[in-house]
Amino acid sequence: MSFKRDKKEEEDSGGNPYQNLDKTIVLQEARYFNQSPVNPRKCSLILTKVLYLLNQGEKFTTQEATEAFFATTKLFQSKDVMLRRMVYLCIKELSNLAQDVIIVTSSLTKDMTGKEDLYRAAAIRALCSITDSTMLQAIERYMKQAIVDKNPAVSSAALVSALHLSSTAPDLVRRWANEAQEAITSDNAMVSYHALGVVAGSRKNDKLSTVKLVTRLARAPLKSPYALCLLIRLAAQLVEDDDSDAAQPYIEFIECCLRHKSEMVIYEAAHAIVNLRKTARDLAPAVSVLQLFCGSSKASLRLAGARTLARLTTKHPTAVAACAVDLENLISDPNRSVATLAVTTLLATGAESSVDR
Amino acid sequence: MVHTTMEGSLFEPTLYLVKGMCILDNDGNRILAKYYDKDVLPTAKEQKAFEKNLFNKTHRANAEIIMLEGLTCVYKSNVDLFFYVMGSSHENELILQSVLNALYESVSILLRRNVERRVLLDNLDAVMLAFDEICDGGVILDSDPTSIVGRAALRTEDVPLGEQTVAQILQNIMNM
Repeated sequence: MSFKRDKKEEEDSGGNPYQNLDKTIVLQEARYFNQSPVNPRKCSLILTKVLYLLNQGEKFTTQEATEAFFATTKLFQSKDVMLRRMVYLCIKELSNLAQDVIIVTSSLTKDMTGKEDLYRAAAIRALCSITDSTMLQAIERYMKQAIVDKNPAVSSAALVSALHLSSTAPDLVRRWANEAQEAITSDNAMVSYHALGVVAGSRKNDKLSTVKLVTRLARAPLKSPYALCLLIRLAAQLVEDDDSDAAQPYIEFIECCLRHKSEMVIYEAAHAIVNLRKTARDLAPAVSVLQLFCGSSKASLRLAGARTLARLTTKHPTAVAACAVDLENLISDPNRSVATLAVTTLLATGAESSVDR
Repeated sequence: MVHTTMEGSLFEPTLYLVKGMCILDNDGNRILAKYYDKDVLPTAKEQKAFEKNLFNKTHRANAEIIMLEGLTCVYKSNVDLFFYVMGSSHENELILQSVLNALYESVSILLRRNVERRVLLDNLDAVMLAFDEICDGGVILDSDPTSIVGRAALRTEDVPLGEQTVAQILQNIMNM
């Protein structure tokens, strides 16, 4: 009997319990949030349905979104961690559709400064998504504290939120640069990366201080591979802007990164060198790294290698010609993008002999 | 049309690297998707059209990476689920790959290695939280599956002891 029903359900909705959700019914279900005490499981399921509808591109009117938003705020009375996290997610998703979202500011500020670490990081991100530049000043003190917090999740949440806010309130966020500066040296790879992003962003229009930043960090290299990739990009930009001997230390730093243990960093460095160096001889170490990538078992490495070599053909066909054999192996690559790149590159550089083969 | 910087130039020093992430089922229908750049696929209609196209080009060949409509898409599939991470065509592919690995591994841990559509739908809330912990508005927030899963705030009673963090276990004991 139950088997039969299951089967019918499966035929009806392809086994997807969320497939035939009706927006009005889900919004009606959200009224259940007013009940006390809160049933975390049930409420979490209703929030999931709301988020699913939004994710599928269902349109909510301002009134519908506002009603759902206000219903959601009732759930702050529950202490269930999972439910609270779903509430934050809903707040973020509804924040640009609903009206008067600032109503939750005090609840979120409380969570952000509270004891529960799992709340704090997520509360910061939700809070910054509903805050505008006028209200930002009120939470500035907490943001500065959060940036240097010893919990990496909290610190990263504050840094990434600061980065988002810097497009609307650049002057205010620039005042947090000292805290961010401190976080660059964090042992946590992501915190270090996000902090460097915030600091570099705040100095975007100030060449001299960017020079200082890159020079200092290139000397005592960062541990985080993501942060190193960003640092290579910053250094490469400085080299491109200034072709004199003053740029030599940056080039040396980037070349040094070719020997890093992370493939991501090696590729980042090789890509930068290929686009910066002028003579084929300077290119040799980077080209040989890319050549190695072409023989990798991972498709994304082969593509990265082949693509960068393809770009190089316009500038230095001779440097690429040395990799002809590796590229020929890629012609029959199971990945179509890789194979196509290899063929076009060979046609652009190849001597007649290799075209024949 | 998708905006891309000129070919043959340097990578841009930005933290906004991820243009989108999605999980599709074996008919190419969206289970979850998120697009982070309002200049790239701004409407739901364009997004779904792109997803259909992406699915048609990738569901048979498990080739890991594809360039499509000006985007670099890295992907991975299992049974009846397809995971994608999209970045600009002018982006470090290996960084995108690390995001995809984080997404796939986190979901895999959350579903206790049963990476299938049915199980995923039963745990959709946790997967939504994991999505949110991996990427924030196009910035990679975290790429370590254990810390992502830890932060996706699982219902702790559901998690096998071996996959809980010490903090979670302590929390459980305190709550008892």
